[in-house]
Amino acid sequence: MQFSFIGALEEILAGSGFAALFSDPRSLVMILIAFVLLFLGIGKKFEPLLLVPIAFGILLANFPLTGLLNAPANGASPGMLWVFYQGVEHAIYPSLIFLGIGAMTDFGPLIARPSSLLLGAAAQLGIFAAFLMALALGFAPNVAASIGIIGGADGPTAILVTSRLAADYLPAIAIAAYSYMALIPLIQPPLMRALTTKKEREIKMEQLRPVSKTEKIVFPIAVATVVILLIPDTAPLIGMLMLGNLFRECGVTDRLSDTAQNTLCNIVTIFLGLSVGCKAVAEKFLTMETIKIIVLGLIAFMFSTIGGLLFGKIMCKLSGGKVNPLIGSAGVSAVPMAARVSQVEGQKANPANFLLMHAMGPNVAGVIGSAVAAGFLLKVFGA
Amino acid sequence: MIQGPLSPVEAVMVALSGFVIVFLMLALLWGVIIVVSRIVGGVEKKAAPVAAASQPAAAPVAAPAAAPAPAAAAPQVVLEGVDETQAACVMAIVSHETGIPLDQLVFKSIKAV
Repeated sequence: MQFSFIGALEEILAGSGFAALFSDPRSLVMILIAFVLLFLGIGKKFEPLLLVPIAFGILLANFPLTGLLNAPANGASPGMLWVFYQGVEHAIYPSLIFLGIGAMTDFGPLIARPSSLLLGAAAQLGIFAAFLMALALGFAPNVAASIGIIGGADGPTAILVTSRLAADYLPAIAIAAYSYMALIPLIQPPLMRALTTKKEREIKMEQLRPVSKTEKIVFPIAVATVVILLIPDTAPLIGMLMLGNLFRECGVTDRLSDTAQNTLCNIVTIFLGLSVGCKAVAEKFLTMETIKIIVLGLIAFMFSTIGGLLFGKIMCKLSGGKVNPLIGSAGVSAVPMAARVSQVEGQKANPANFLLMHAMGPNVAGVIGSAVAAGFLLKVFGA
Repeated sequence: MIQGPLSPVEAVMVALSGFVIVFLMLALLWGVIIVVSRIVGGVEKKAAPVAAASQPAAAPVAAPAAAPAPAAAAPQVVLEGVDETQAACVMAIVSHETGIPLDQLVFKSIKAV
């Protein structure tokens, strides 16, 4: 046998990822997209906690010959990212993220003013508007439902619904959802100013009543019981959301609450981001449909904001001018970003205006509303 | 449930039904919250006199522990052009930003500018 150093080097290079990379240039495009997303996450701070692992997942998934996505076959071990993805496929990660969100959320403002729930419902308008538009653009109903859920402005909900109804579209939908959530301070204010008068934006709202500890403890138990019994498909999201909130409020599980809010949520975020990113392979992502999804996602966000604002105006009229309609736009979930936008816009109109706590009611109601909408879509379009 | 394509009418019906169901569900929760708040409020009101009645016996022991009583001891803050709620917010923000507990801060006046 003759050994040649150059021959060995040629053989190594021919079998390397670099050689395979150029056999399908679409992988190169995906790698470039991953770099752009990493820049947006790190350089522009667009939802970095999720965008960075998603982008890195895209990068890893598009390196050739890694076998990271291989399913177990013929006794061979599965790829690492395939294993991670099982947590998305079986709705584990979105539910665990909801556990953390529940542990972080104070439902006090919602309990103090329960009419906020209707603003949270109205701000789901974008889900159904985008669903109809997606159907008009030729998407299958299950895919249209997954696109529509972007309008819920709730990443874990979008991921759960899409993983169940249209898994191939998961990366595009998740990236659209998280990107637009990061862009809420840019998307919402022009709509808020266009749909409300200065007089409405200046309205100062009455202070919320204090909420007792017992009410806060009973709330998650009551909500979980009523909602899950009525729409069982909401159980993974609402169940975990309310369990996390019970950990927070009951006062005897501080360690569990702390773990759910911090350590667990961070660990699951890493797995969730990588799992979503790893589904973004060239043949499924580089299509016209991805562009349509990105556009429809923006429309969904805008319609949700409009729905909340218009219902806020109705509540303003019905309450004799006691409700500032700006809190309606916070009904899109995106906690607490959307509530902060209401606060900022309210204060621009009237520097003595403090809308943040008032906007937190519709904001957390939006989380429940989008979970209910997700349950409905899963019921109608699920297998 | 629905697997095949939808006609335009069916699509609109699905969208409308979904939106109405979200509304109904959250309206129902509104009712649940009101009922729960009333029940809890009622129970707590009943419990309050019982707690108050049992307090005098404990008062002599508790009194030395409640020494600081900052609200009663604190000098009156002069408010100019701000109401009590706004003043409370300002005090809370100043305390938060400076890291000084409220009971160690003394406000002489808060004036709207």
